[in-house]
Amino acid sequence: MTGPVPPEDKRFYYSLLPFIGVSMIVVLVLAAVLAYYSLPAVKKYGATAILGREWSPSEDNPSKARYGLLIPILGTLATATIAVLIGLPIALSMVVLTEEILPYRYRGLLGSIVDVMAAIPTIVYGLWGLTVLAPLLRETLYKWLHARLGWTPLFACNPFTGTTYMTAGILLGIIVVPYIYAIVREAYRSVPKKYRHGIYALGATRLEAVRLIMGMIRSAIAAAVLLAFGRAAGETVAVALVIGSAFNAPRCLLAPGYTIASLIANQFGESFYYPYMANALYLGGLLLLLIGIAANIAGLRLLGRARSLEG
Amino acid sequence: MALIAIGLLLARGRGPGTGGHVTLQGGGSSFLYPQIQAWIDQYSRENPNVTINYSPTGSGTGQSQFLQGVLDFAGSDPPLKRGVWEKYRGDVLQVPVIVGAVVVVYNVPGVGPGLNLSGEVLAKIYKGEIEYWDDPAITSLNPHTSLPHEKIMAVHRSDSSGTTNVFTLFLHKAAPDTWPEDLVGKTIDWPVDSTGRGVGGKGNQGVAEQVRQTPYSIGYVELAYATQTGLPVARIENSAGRFIEPSNETIMAAAEGAISGMSIGPRDDWNPVFEAIVYAPGEDSYPIATLSFLILRASYNDQAKAEALAGFLEWLAHEGYKHVVKGYVPLPESARHVLTDAANILRGAQP
Repeated sequence: MTGPVPPEDKRFYYSLLPFIGVSMIVVLVLAAVLAYYSLPAVKKYGATAILGREWSPSEDNPSKARYGLLIPILGTLATATIAVLIGLPIALSMVVLTEEILPYRYRGLLGSIVDVMAAIPTIVYGLWGLTVLAPLLRETLYKWLHARLGWTPLFACNPFTGTTYMTAGILLGIIVVPYIYAIVREAYRSVPKKYRHGIYALGATRLEAVRLIMGMIRSAIAAAVLLAFGRAAGETVAVALVIGSAFNAPRCLLAPGYTIASLIANQFGESFYYPYMANALYLGGLLLLLIGIAANIAGLRLLGRARSLEG
Repeated sequence: MALIAIGLLLARGRGPGTGGHVTLQGGGSSFLYPQIQAWIDQYSRENPNVTINYSPTGSGTGQSQFLQGVLDFAGSDPPLKRGVWEKYRGDVLQVPVIVGAVVVVYNVPGVGPGLNLSGEVLAKIYKGEIEYWDDPAITSLNPHTSLPHEKIMAVHRSDSSGTTNVFTLFLHKAAPDTWPEDLVGKTIDWPVDSTGRGVGGKGNQGVAEQVRQTPYSIGYVELAYATQTGLPVARIENSAGRFIEPSNETIMAAAEGAISGMSIGPRDDWNPVFEAIVYAPGEDSYPIATLSFLILRASYNDQAKAEALAGFLEWLAHEGYKHVVKGYVPLPESARHVLTDAANILRGAQP
């Protein structure tokens, strides 16, 4: 953009301002409302509202009640991390498959299938996760993990049920595949043809070429990971169905637990009968918003850098 | 404009005895919903000039909407809390309409229905203190059943629930030393969760589904859900030391044990009865029983509404219990006078 801006363009830009303003105001108001409603819980319980491990509501005696969010916070971070670790290799493989390996006429088909995955409502993933995935994983993967890797704390507990941190993480991993795929595929396609020709001209194998191109777009991959992390941390209904809803810290991933979003989904409905419980849940919402904003800002910055490098 | 005027005239013209149409708005307890809907269908067939709507929003929401004046009546599993009842004393009526029960279901491959369990054993399971199915505390109650050396997975509700309230109240009353009063409520901090052997399910459906899917698990659900899912149901030790299977007779016996001997009416605080029916006295009483209530106003601005509700309550007392849905237990005959008492108050008679 060089030279003076013509006046009609200026007017056009100004006319966009209210719309940009609305979306900014929505985010700010959202954060302000969450902060406003969380405040009573923070005032009443101080740091234990975030760092406490106990969640024991009381209908008539708020001084006896404990509303500590630490376990759901750790659970949110744990499941979102598993989700990214599961989703990333799947999405990258899909990119290689649709961009390099598959015959041309099948590429579009597979690409659209992955895109459709993003359009499936998460309640559908959740129901499938509860009735099919959870029992299946328990009988196969979890028993194997526990038998082979039971010496590590992560898999030390016997998998009594299929609804666990691990199941939530794996289901989230599947849910975030199309998000990672879309960003990485776009970046992969944007690598100029001349580089690719150059790589092959130097005698590289296909594997070496893929590794080189993936290296060129690594900031886009990192951005995709962060955006997927934010998406996974905020997912509610699918997780609420498969996480097992127990106040149990994510020391061992084969046991039930909680995330912030699934805690809100379970307990917000009747929370107004418990003094301060709704406030504590709002605080959870605020933390979730902050986690989401941090992951998204970091992701978008990386993505911006990746795009400017390519340009 | 003319239409509005006619509408106003029509609205003013309706009243008791004029044959006008009355609509009653109710809501609350979702446990009560299938039963009350069956009653409403039957009643409106016989009384086409009365329309009753009931939305199953949950007992808590029902109570608060009723107290705010949004609803004409509320259905609620627990009665009004003592403090709330005192605040509205004399203005509200509470009548028990149906008896319910919480049953203990389990999924132990190779073990059929009718396992004997006591409050003490259940309390220790939900505390995480009894770890295995073949713990001596369980085998000594079931000498003829061979139980596996497998860890017990304890399933509970993840949402706030009257079922949890009744179940934990039972644990406290049956085993006060093991299960302290702090652990009684609609949502509690389950001690077993921190051992990794506790898991939550949303709603009765969620708990039943968890138990069905998880071998060696145990859970608690409302009676109606246990019959639906076909899971084996435990026999529970009552206050007389007998192991009782939940059935119409044993659950009704618990209600009789709690209500008989108390002279209590619709204007009274029902919390004592609600507590007494859990771990109720009586040789044959099933120990985890509960009552569901309708909450009404003692008088309505629109006398037609009061009249319609009185008619509905009287119909319930005399006809309603012929139309009981499977999984629900009728109010024992000795308690049905509370419904007619409330009807008389609505019609303006002083008790």
